[in-house]
Amino acid sequence: MTALTAPPTRIAPNTLRAAWRVFWYGGRMSYGMLFNWARPSIYIPTLIGGPTFQLFFFAALGSYATDRSPAYFAIGNAVQVSALAGVFGMTMAIANERWFGTLPALLATPANRVAVFAGRFMPFIVNGLLVSLYAFGLGVVFLGVRLAPGSIAVAALALLVTVFSCTAIGALQGAISLRLRDGLFGANLVTMAILLFCGVNIPLHELPGWMQVVGNILPFTHGVEAVRQAADGAGFRQVGWLIGVEALVGIAYAVLAFALFVLLERSARRHATLDVR
Amino acid sequence: MAASGAATPAIEAIDLVRTYQTHTGVLRRRPMTVEAVRGISFEVKPGELFGLLGPNGAGKTTTIKMLITLLLPTSGAARVMGFDVVHDTTAVRQRIGYVFGGDRGLYDRVSGIDNLRYFAELYGVEPSEQRRRIAALLELVGLTGRENEKVEGYSRGMRQRLHIARGLLHDPEVIFMDEPSIGLDPVGARELRQTVRSLVDAGKTVLLTTHYMFEADALCDRIAVINAGRIVALGSGADLKDAIAERTIVEIETFGVTDEAVERLRRDDDVSAVNMEERDQSQILLVQSERGAHITQRLLSLLGDTRVGKVVAREPTLEDAYVHLIATTGHDEARAARAASVQ
Repeated sequence: MTALTAPPTRIAPNTLRAAWRVFWYGGRMSYGMLFNWARPSIYIPTLIGGPTFQLFFFAALGSYATDRSPAYFAIGNAVQVSALAGVFGMTMAIANERWFGTLPALLATPANRVAVFAGRFMPFIVNGLLVSLYAFGLGVVFLGVRLAPGSIAVAALALLVTVFSCTAIGALQGAISLRLRDGLFGANLVTMAILLFCGVNIPLHELPGWMQVVGNILPFTHGVEAVRQAADGAGFRQVGWLIGVEALVGIAYAVLAFALFVLLERSARRHATLDVR
Repeated sequence: MAASGAATPAIEAIDLVRTYQTHTGVLRRRPMTVEAVRGISFEVKPGELFGLLGPNGAGKTTTIKMLITLLLPTSGAARVMGFDVVHDTTAVRQRIGYVFGGDRGLYDRVSGIDNLRYFAELYGVEPSEQRRRIAALLELVGLTGRENEKVEGYSRGMRQRLHIARGLLHDPEVIFMDEPSIGLDPVGARELRQTVRSLVDAGKTVLLTTHYMFEADALCDRIAVINAGRIVALGSGADLKDAIAERTIVEIETFGVTDEAVERLRRDDDVSAVNMEERDQSQILLVQSERGAHITQRLLSLLGDTRVGKVVAREPTLEDAYVHLIATTGHDEARAARAASVQ
C-alpha cells in the first residue's frame, strides 16, 4: 500500500453546487446501484414483456366485453405500465438502502437530504417514460392508437407528469419500506390499485362513488384522462387543469415521502428504529 | 459550536448513556429498557489511535454510532473535533470517516469505482479531483486493477478494503473503524494495520474497535476495554498488561477435559482465572496464577485423569489482561445491562 497524496478540495455541503451534484450525478448513479431490475435478464421480461402482454390482454378483454375500441384500453395501459417502472423503481431506490446495508453510510454523510432524495426520482421518471413510450408504440402499430398531431406535446406533458406522480407514490412506498420489513409488497398493492381505481380500463365516472374518491386521491387518475383527451385532439387549454391536478397530487406524495424519510432518519437517531448497521 | 485551541480533543465522550426500548412476548408484550451504554467517558487526542475493545454486545458499536451522529445519546454528551454530535451533525459528518467491517454496506450491483464516485459526490469531493483521489485510494487499499469489477464479485477482503477507501475519500480528520479487519486473511489484516498506522502517521485520529488483541496491542496508543456498557479499563497496552504483570499464564493443552476438572482448577486458591479455548481435537486451558510456573504440577494433578498435551508457562499478553478484565467485571455488569429495568 502506498501513502496518500494531497487531500482533495471539497465543496461545502450547504451550497447549491454540492446539492446539484448530489441531485444530478448521485441521482443518475442510484439507478444502477439500487434498481434490482436494471439488468437485461430482469428488465426485459418485467418492463418489456410484462407491459406487452398487459397491453394486449386488456385490449382484447376490454374490446370483447365492451363496445370501446382496443385503442381506449391500449392508451390506459400504455400509461399505466409507466407506473410499474416508477412505483417499483422508486420503491427499490429507497428501500434497498436498507437491504443493502448502505443506509448508515449514506446517513453518516453530510450530503443534502433533499438532493439525495430528489435525485432518485430522475432516472425512474426517464425509465417510466421509456416503458410507456414503448407501450404506446405497440398501441400505435397493433391496436389502432392514433394521436392528434397537434396534441402530441400536450399528451407527452401529461405522460411526464403522470410518471412523476407515480414515481412519487413509489418514493412514499420506499420510505415506508425503510421501516417496515417486506414493504416492497406494498408496491404491488399500489400498482394494482392504480389499475383498478384510476380509470385505466374503466372510466372513473362508471366506478362506484367510493372508488371514485379513492381514484381521485391516487396519482395517475387525472394524468391518464389528460392523455386520453389529448389523444382525441384536446389542447392544453382543455386538459391543462387535469395535468395541474396530477402534478399537485404527485407533489403532495413527493413531499409526504420526503417528510417520512426525514422523520424516519430522526426517529432512527432517537429510537434506533432503522437498521443502521 | 466547535471549541478552538490546540487542547481540543479530537473525540470527547462525557458520561454517554444509550438505552433501547424493546419488548418481550407476543401476546402479552412486556416493555423493557436495555442499557447498551451506561456512562462512558473518554477523550481521544488529535493524532491518537484509540482502541475500543470488548466482547460482542459490550456497547462498542452503539458508542461509535453515537459519535458518528447515527444515534442520539439518551444522556451525556459527545464532541468530535469540538462539534457536538447531537446538534452540529453536518460539521461532524464533514470531519469524520466511517469504516465498518463485514460484507454489507456497499452497492453490490455496480463497480467498486462507482461506489467511490457516488460517495465522493455525497462528501462533496471536487469533481476535478475525484479521479486522482479515487486512484490514490484504490492504490492505497490494493484494489487498483479491480475497480471496474462489480462489487458482488468481490471477496470479503476486497469489500473490506473498499469500505476503507470509501471512508477516506474526503480526507476526514477523524476515522471511526468498527472491526475493520473482520474476515480479512492474515496478509490483508497486516496490510490493513499498515494502512491504519500510515493514517495516524499522517496526523489522522483513529478510533478502532477490534476483537483481535494483538491488533490492538500492535496499533493502539491507548485502549479502553468496554464491558456491558461501561469502560472497565483505560490505558496503554502496557498499562493494561501491568494489571496482571505479576501473574503467570500456564497454557495446558488437554483432550476431553471435563467441566468438573476445570471447576477444580478454578476453585484452587492460587488460581486467579481459568479460560478455555476449544480447538479441533483439544482444549487449551489458560490458567492465570500469581505463583509463577511452580503451580504447574499442582494444576496437572487437579486435572486428574484428563489427557494432557503440551504445557507452557509464559508472560501475560494483552489478551490475558483483557480476558481477566472481562471475567472480573463481566458477570454482574452484563446481568445489570441486559435487563436494566422491566417497566
